[in-house]
Amino acid sequence: MSSKDLERALSKLRFDDQVLGYSLMTKVGRPFVSFAFPDDLFPRVKDSIKLYKKDLRLMTIDTDKGLVVLSPVDENWILTVLYVPELQLGLAIAKTKNVLRLLEGIELPPPPEEFEESSEENLQVLDSIAINASAVEETPAAPDTPDTAPKVVSAPVEELAPKDFNVSSSTIPERGPQYSTSLTLDSELNSEMKTAHRNFGFDVLMLVDGALSVEKIADSMFQPTDRVIDLLKWCAVRGIIVVPRTAEGSDDSTESGGAGSMGRYVKCPKFEGDLGKVSGDDIAIIRLCDGKNTPEQIAEATSLPMPKIMQTLAKYRKSGLKMIGRTIK
Amino acid sequence: MPKIDNPLLLSFYAHYVDKILSETSNIDEANQKLRDLGHEIGQQIYLNTEIVEKTKDSVTTREDVSKLIDVVYRILYGKKPDDVDMKTARGSVRISDKACVWCQEVSLEGMRGFGYCEIFSGILETILEFKGVDAKVFQEMSRATGAEVCTWNVRLG
Repeated sequence: MSSKDLERALSKLRFDDQVLGYSLMTKVGRPFVSFAFPDDLFPRVKDSIKLYKKDLRLMTIDTDKGLVVLSPVDENWILTVLYVPELQLGLAIAKTKNVLRLLEGIELPPPPEEFEESSEENLQVLDSIAINASAVEETPAAPDTPDTAPKVVSAPVEELAPKDFNVSSSTIPERGPQYSTSLTLDSELNSEMKTAHRNFGFDVLMLVDGALSVEKIADSMFQPTDRVIDLLKWCAVRGIIVVPRTAEGSDDSTESGGAGSMGRYVKCPKFEGDLGKVSGDDIAIIRLCDGKNTPEQIAEATSLPMPKIMQTLAKYRKSGLKMIGRTIK
Repeated sequence: MPKIDNPLLLSFYAHYVDKILSETSNIDEANQKLRDLGHEIGQQIYLNTEIVEKTKDSVTTREDVSKLIDVVYRILYGKKPDDVDMKTARGSVRISDKACVWCQEVSLEGMRGFGYCEIFSGILETILEFKGVDAKVFQEMSRATGAEVCTWNVRLG
């Protein structure tokens, strides 16, 4: 085994545009060599590994960062790859298998007892272990090849992600089974929510009563609807609130003019000119013109009246302000 | 300030598009609604313009259709289409317009497949129908969704 071969196999992932990150992990889920793999996903991956222990085959986890594909390399190692969320499951699995095929010829020594997690140098560490091992006992008998492992695709664990929920401005959220727990101080859920959303979560949840729509909630809090929607999806994943699930296969409305829910159509100003030329009074408004906020949301965020917003938008039409039409979920 | 031709027409059309998009649940349905709008005003156009006088009584060949398209363009927009392609595909005619009036200064994001200027498909389809030509017209590309030119496909039945 040479670290070069391993590096070559992994570099296939590194230069793949659809790969957001990867990690070569030990069988207990400790990251050994990682590249751009989000730290906060490790606990989740580790839990999944623990759950399946010996039975781990190819497994996928849907996360809000993207699609994670776990696959055992041999009895000691697990390869974990995070793909862009829009990648098809089948493609993600195929890509992972390609890399596994490259790794097949490489004999990986078991991980050392102690190592610094996710360190780049670990590749060399692995190298020296291999050299030592072969020096001591000549060529070891061929270890049982793990070729049965990656071939079977076991049923993916169904984990819900925020995108599985269909929340629009007219949705009326209801309280879910975890609603009261989430509002109980000192509960794990409450502190998780606090960390992720500060008091915003609490404020929104107080308004969830099965009667108010998302738009009404956002309006009465003077908050952008999108922010409320994001929070509600976060809550929906955890059973704090109940909202409709996205219907199967309807989540990609851009697919070649195909059918599917379009969401709400809005026009959002986008400034593509030179911010340096925007006068000081207008900068607060123009800065929000990122093609994602509607004029109404900008009015809310700046606490300025709508006529003022429209005047300002019109003023910058000649210096690079466009109105972008889009549908929002 | 962006230079816009016929701002009154444009504002009306934008209003209709917004309304249709807010009432439909998918792109295909929205495209069809815009074509329907075109069918409705196609009648008005046929009655109120010189299209009847300026075109042959019986439109039969693809060349006839192409000439009719030129007339419609001159009467509606006061210009010629950039291209009317009859060769590439049998049984259909493709119209290209680099400066389509309907989608001036419109930019849409993430709405692939939406034909912003489908209204013209409906208008043309109706005029062709009154001229005795069985054809289906639909927009292939729109500058509103990022294409270089707007194109329509006239599929002759």
